[in-house]
Amino acid sequence: MTQLTWGRRYLMCPPVHFSVLYEINSWMHTAVPVDPEAARAQWEGLVATLESAGAVVERLDPVAGLPDLVFTANAGLVDGSRFVASAFRHPQRQGETAIDTAWFAAHGYDIVSLPAGVVHEGAGDALPFAGVLVSGYRTRSDAAAGTALSRLIGAPVRTVELVDPRYYHLDLTFCPLDERRAILNPAGWDRYGCTVMESLVAEPLVLEAEEAELFCANSVVIGTTIVMPACPPRVGRILEGWGFDVIVAAVPEFLKAGGGCRCLTLALDVTLGHAGPSPSSPSAPPGSVAARG
Amino acid sequence: MASERVQVEGHIIDSLTLAKVLDTILSAGCDYVIEEVTIGRSADDMSRALVEIQAPDDVVLESLLSELQVHGANRTSTVDATLVTADTDGVLPDGFYSTTNLPTAVRIDGHWVPVATPEMDCGVAVDRGDDTASARTVPMHRVEAGDRIVVGHEGVRVTVPARVGGPGSQFEFMNSDVSSEKPKARLVADVAARIRAAKEAGERVLLVAGPALIHTGTGPHLAALVRGGWIDVLFAGNGFATHDIESNVLGTSLGVSLELGSGVEHGHSNHLRVINEVRRQGSIAAAVESGYISGGVMYECVKAGVPFVLGGSVRDDGPLPDVHTDVVKAADTMRANLDGVGVALMLATTLHAIATGNLLSATVQTFCVDINQAVVTKLADRGSHQALGIVTDVGLFVEELRQQLVPA
Repeated sequence: MTQLTWGRRYLMCPPVHFSVLYEINSWMHTAVPVDPEAARAQWEGLVATLESAGAVVERLDPVAGLPDLVFTANAGLVDGSRFVASAFRHPQRQGETAIDTAWFAAHGYDIVSLPAGVVHEGAGDALPFAGVLVSGYRTRSDAAAGTALSRLIGAPVRTVELVDPRYYHLDLTFCPLDERRAILNPAGWDRYGCTVMESLVAEPLVLEAEEAELFCANSVVIGTTIVMPACPPRVGRILEGWGFDVIVAAVPEFLKAGGGCRCLTLALDVTLGHAGPSPSSPSAPPGSVAARG
Repeated sequence: MASERVQVEGHIIDSLTLAKVLDTILSAGCDYVIEEVTIGRSADDMSRALVEIQAPDDVVLESLLSELQVHGANRTSTVDATLVTADTDGVLPDGFYSTTNLPTAVRIDGHWVPVATPEMDCGVAVDRGDDTASARTVPMHRVEAGDRIVVGHEGVRVTVPARVGGPGSQFEFMNSDVSSEKPKARLVADVAARIRAAKEAGERVLLVAGPALIHTGTGPHLAALVRGGWIDVLFAGNGFATHDIESNVLGTSLGVSLELGSGVEHGHSNHLRVINEVRRQGSIAAAVESGYISGGVMYECVKAGVPFVLGGSVRDDGPLPDVHTDVVKAADTMRANLDGVGVALMLATTLHAIATGNLLSATVQTFCVDINQAVVTKLADRGSHQALGIVTDVGLFVEELRQQLVPA
């Protein structure tokens, strides 16, 4: 197994102001209350799990009125020393950009913006795999963002259309495990997307419908450890057969807002194209993860 | 029909985006032409495609464009055409858009409006109703003060029609502009097939004829084609009509006996006597009616109700009463007879071929037959690039065409 060269440093935001105050995906129901204590405990549990697996967790200060700031995966895309800030589709989340950008600027990143009018929701809709950046579009991000991102990062982008409103972000349908393997939820893609992903992923773990609904694809990979919001037996057997250790970190309070483990984290040690290494991570591995040249 | 051009860019091949865009267009009941495509050489390189969409109407087009935008395919033109009001009859405003003979559309209020009757070297006039706009080519002399005329190139676009000789067509073998060293029988058979196809499609066939056809004794074959219903409109000059009538009334063409091939006594004045008599009778139709003309191409046209336009020139004798001596009116009358023309046959005539070429849309399949390659080249040099030239003896060509279409 050639492990992922990223996934050991994460940005997370404590769920102090987390709640379901609006409905912008099919999982959110304002009538279903979030238990703040339970949410806090689950989030702390996730942090502890990640740290025990060898990850470093950085913290973003929570801001009142921005309940989804906890889903740091959507803050933007990290590319070495650059941060491509997200442009959110929904006004409810657009206030997050200034907070995210301020954190990255304060930590020495060059802030890069997408062209005006192009919407893209960061690592929630874009994950590097085997030399390319896979970018989901339609629900939350624009297809045109794929072209803009490719220009910005200098790496090829595969745009994949997300057609199931339940799987509104790419990270609910795709989880890179190493350089050859990934968890796939094809129910979220159109037939062209399925074809693209089939040809991209050498050894796929294709989720059954009920497995996908448990947010299995929304997992965090730290080397050979996979931190999952849930792990059905079949999925666990395959992953263990491949040599991964699976740890379940249940986050049911966050599922009420349509987010799992991956949504709560933003990898800070990703190098997509030809950018330099992360400014606050001198130990980041040299070279490029995604670029094939 | 409504059309729009969209551009899609990025890793559109590996992401199957181009395939999806094209499939989406077809699924919407529309059609497309890929006007330009640049494929990246390596996995890192981006690709780009420019796609022209043809939709049955604006509603379908707009709905398709919204869907395509989701996939990152955006319309390329967002600028309306600039219109300036003509202030003088017969004069186009400064900077007017000068037309080609290609299908053209102008963008008015965000919609592409096709320009009616494409014709080269004209202006484009836009007529607006309450919610509608239409566009037409307007020759300089027909501009009226107050006409809204397109200026500049913004918001104007032309479409290059597929060539008759393009890949896969029955004329694929005619892949050179001018063909002199090609099997003539095959050429004639293919022209005949194209004429048949045009007639089946309800299109009209235009014959543009020069006097050499009559001198070489080809008149009876042409007459047979008219009689057989294969010719729907005839453009010619005073000479063609005169010699056609002369040959049928007196048996000579420019004084030369068509039977003997030699000059007859006082034959040089034969054509003048014929013109004089037709002038006395008032028109070619009247001379046919009276029995003075009892055969030939003009006779068959009158009998079959095939319209003909005879354009005059400075050196004409007479001329025949049907000849338009005002050349501007002659050209306007020719224009008025082009509706529905799908095939143009230009036989042994330089001036009338070029004059007609100036008026024809590039979508009209044009065959120019002449023994002199220069005629064909000249036609193309003046913008009628759609013309396929066949360099051969026009007499043999027409005889063979007649045998194909009107077997004895």
